[in-house]
Amino acid sequence: MTELRTPATDQDAFSQEEPVSPAGPDFGLLDWLRWGWRQLTSMRIALILLFLLALGSVPGSLLPQEGTSPAGVLQYYKSHPTLAPLLNHIGMFNVFGSPWFAAIYLLLFASLVGCVVPRTFKLAGSARTLPPRAPRNVSRLPHAASYSVGLPPDVALDVATRVLGEHRFRMRRDEDWISAEKGYLREAGNLLFHLALLGILVSIALGGLFGYKADRLLVQGTSFADTASALDEIYPGRLVTDADLAPFTITLNKFDASYITSGPQLGQPASFNAYVSYTTSPGSPERSDDISVNHPLSIDGAKIYLIGHGYAPVFKVTDASGKVVYDQATPFLAGATGNELSEGVVKVPDAEPSQLGFSGVFVPTAVEPDGILESIFPAPNNPAVSLIAYDGNLGMNSGTAQSVYQLSTAGLKQLASKPELLLPGQTWKLPGNNGSITFTGYQQWVSLTITHDPGQLPALVCGIAALAGLLLSFMVRRRRVFVRAVSGNQGGSVVQFGGLARTDASGGFEAEFAELANELRSAQRQAVPTQQALQPREDVGD
Amino acid sequence: MPVNVALGHVSNDFMIAALLLYSLAVLAFAGDFAFGRPGRTSAVASAPARTLATVGAAGGALPDDPGGPSQASVATGAGAGDKMPELQVPVLRAIMAAGPWVRAAMALSTAAVLSHAIAVTTRGLAVHRAPWGNMYEFVTALTCFAAIFFLGVMVRYRAWALGVFVMGSVVVILGLAETLIYTTAGQLVPALQSYWLSIHVTAMTVSTGVFFVSAVLGVVYLMVDRYNRRVAAGKAVAGNGIVERLPSIDQLDRLAYRTIVFGFPIWTFGVIAGAIWADEAWGRYWGWDPVETFAFITWVVYAAFLHARATAGWRGRRAHYVQLLGFATLAFNILVVQVFITGLHSYAGVSG
Repeated sequence: MTELRTPATDQDAFSQEEPVSPAGPDFGLLDWLRWGWRQLTSMRIALILLFLLALGSVPGSLLPQEGTSPAGVLQYYKSHPTLAPLLNHIGMFNVFGSPWFAAIYLLLFASLVGCVVPRTFKLAGSARTLPPRAPRNVSRLPHAASYSVGLPPDVALDVATRVLGEHRFRMRRDEDWISAEKGYLREAGNLLFHLALLGILVSIALGGLFGYKADRLLVQGTSFADTASALDEIYPGRLVTDADLAPFTITLNKFDASYITSGPQLGQPASFNAYVSYTTSPGSPERSDDISVNHPLSIDGAKIYLIGHGYAPVFKVTDASGKVVYDQATPFLAGATGNELSEGVVKVPDAEPSQLGFSGVFVPTAVEPDGILESIFPAPNNPAVSLIAYDGNLGMNSGTAQSVYQLSTAGLKQLASKPELLLPGQTWKLPGNNGSITFTGYQQWVSLTITHDPGQLPALVCGIAALAGLLLSFMVRRRRVFVRAVSGNQGGSVVQFGGLARTDASGGFEAEFAELANELRSAQRQAVPTQQALQPREDVGD
Repeated sequence: MPVNVALGHVSNDFMIAALLLYSLAVLAFAGDFAFGRPGRTSAVASAPARTLATVGAAGGALPDDPGGPSQASVATGAGAGDKMPELQVPVLRAIMAAGPWVRAAMALSTAAVLSHAIAVTTRGLAVHRAPWGNMYEFVTALTCFAAIFFLGVMVRYRAWALGVFVMGSVVVILGLAETLIYTTAGQLVPALQSYWLSIHVTAMTVSTGVFFVSAVLGVVYLMVDRYNRRVAAGKAVAGNGIVERLPSIDQLDRLAYRTIVFGFPIWTFGVIAGAIWADEAWGRYWGWDPVETFAFITWVVYAAFLHARATAGWRGRRAHYVQLLGFATLAFNILVVQVFITGLHSYAGVSG
């Protein structure tokens, strides 16, 4: 005995019809369209599209992507100068925004719609029509039982109607049989799952149109307002204007980082906290909050996340005439060597007679074994900077945009042959009477990401609906049972009880059938008026 | 809170004990193949369809009908003549009846799973968090879930014959984890300090354990399938001692399918929980981070398996290739993407 697995009964999601192949001269445009649609909505094509979706995602995971790792893309261009442009040409660095990836998922969703919509109508239809007629030979069904009972057939069927009704089967009653069906929720769950996937796609599109993401680096003690000009980077959705930004202002009062101070995890971060005060709009009362990793701050539908942190050494530069031409905290970025050894540059365009530039390294806990500056711990236990000084033309007026973290040394001349190490408070008098630079101290900075995504809640709702639909479709089974009663000996009847599960993903229909059969039989035997059950005739179903 | 080093050592000891007990269990399972009574097959092998322990309970006991010839008259789908005698026997008696090798193997497996569970639990207590914060912990926990789940499957379906394959794989994976990626108990980086670790990573760990079992069942399926085809082609002699003892090809198919049906919603839930956590931690619920992307690929491939099973021409062997591909993407994600590809999920802690 095998589980029913004919295509008509075990279809899981998509229509099973084999598309009619194009043939003959009468095959017109409409026929082609119909044929194409049938192909698209067939399970086989859906399966192929699923494979393509998985396959197409692979480069998006293995190659650096513009969206998640722009630096990785640049690095890839450097290390594979010939291959990278080719890959770029076919969208390999932006897989999930590329037309071919969109083609795959749009076709898949078209296929899904083409399958789910007719099935929804079919389910609605079957909920209104009666279950099918009972088969002639109930005992040939995959699950069957047969017994005699001392009731006339119609009374036996009345009892069966009551029992099956208690189990909330939908029933159809004829003279000598009952057909009952249950488990429509399975198909409903399956449809809900597929529709919810569509909903997730729509939610993502919603976020892409009306959402935005922005980054801002904020040094301790400073503040910014959420306007396009005050943000470092903003990635607005297609239909987002500057007026859609939440009008809040944030000040970073203090940043705390703690690190593990002993053991094999020495130097690993233990906690990060950014203590901020903010106003939701100009003039509204100031509030304060502690933003940490996993604890963003929500303001007016926008969320503010703590994404990164670092050190901003404070430098004071005087030029040859003794005028203070620079006095501020300068954010440095942590390099790959770890322990927050950070690099950055100081650009002093106002210095006279020539502009000054410095490239430097900030070391929170400095040691100098073998003359090489190293950081042995990420906390500022022994901060130091090492600077290389330049004078000349910083090239800031050339019209091309410059990174604040890089020095264009083309028009510059190095002032000293080797870097100068400074501890807090120390001043370096620049060679050639070019003024001086003082390392007055350091501040911490945080990088914040501000996001607003109106598709977020719909996506969550759809995700939960998809899961609920999935569980329904796996746990509920659609099953039919049939009861036939024919007259037997001594005014009794022979009852045949059979059943089949159309889909039984998690199993268990067999047990349910056995229990139902027992219940049915004992209910019928209890209904026998004489209280004396007739000796049942052995007639065991297949 | 500081790490409880002593408890960490207790955890390590139990882990080693578990590894040893698993190995002995595998030897006992193999011993049953070699020296066990021939001709005795597991219940899942002798009862043709949908054999569940609950069937035995429901069909065997009919308390409301003491006088009637109940068991004979209500025969269910397993066929009138086949009463699934072994499934009607309580599990302990079934184990006792299965011979000394199976008795030993089941006792050892149970002890191993207990020891393994204690190891994972004490590790969690030692570090005051869910004990799956790095690659080593993840692998030890997922094998623990796989072993617990499979022990349940063995008991429910009386499928002792599969023990050597699944527990054998557990031994190999756990042994590799102990030797290659052992990491001492430690604290987590701030990004992982969230209750979502307990939710998202637990779901991922449990479902990986379940998919691990289904993958082993898939391999056994393909072995039996290959053997059957060789017999059909006249290249092999029917009656191979090992294949004879295994569940039939249909039962293997169903067992693997139900295992995946069990694991797939957990995986789905894990991905959704991960998206919620990503939204809390990184400011977006989905960002095509390499590990996210591969979790998605795994999901799509298992979805393809579920669809393949309902597509003519894709059932059976091809469907199992698909599920093994699904597990391959999962393993690739854990072993390659999380370790070698820089992304937001770089917490494996293998190199450091």
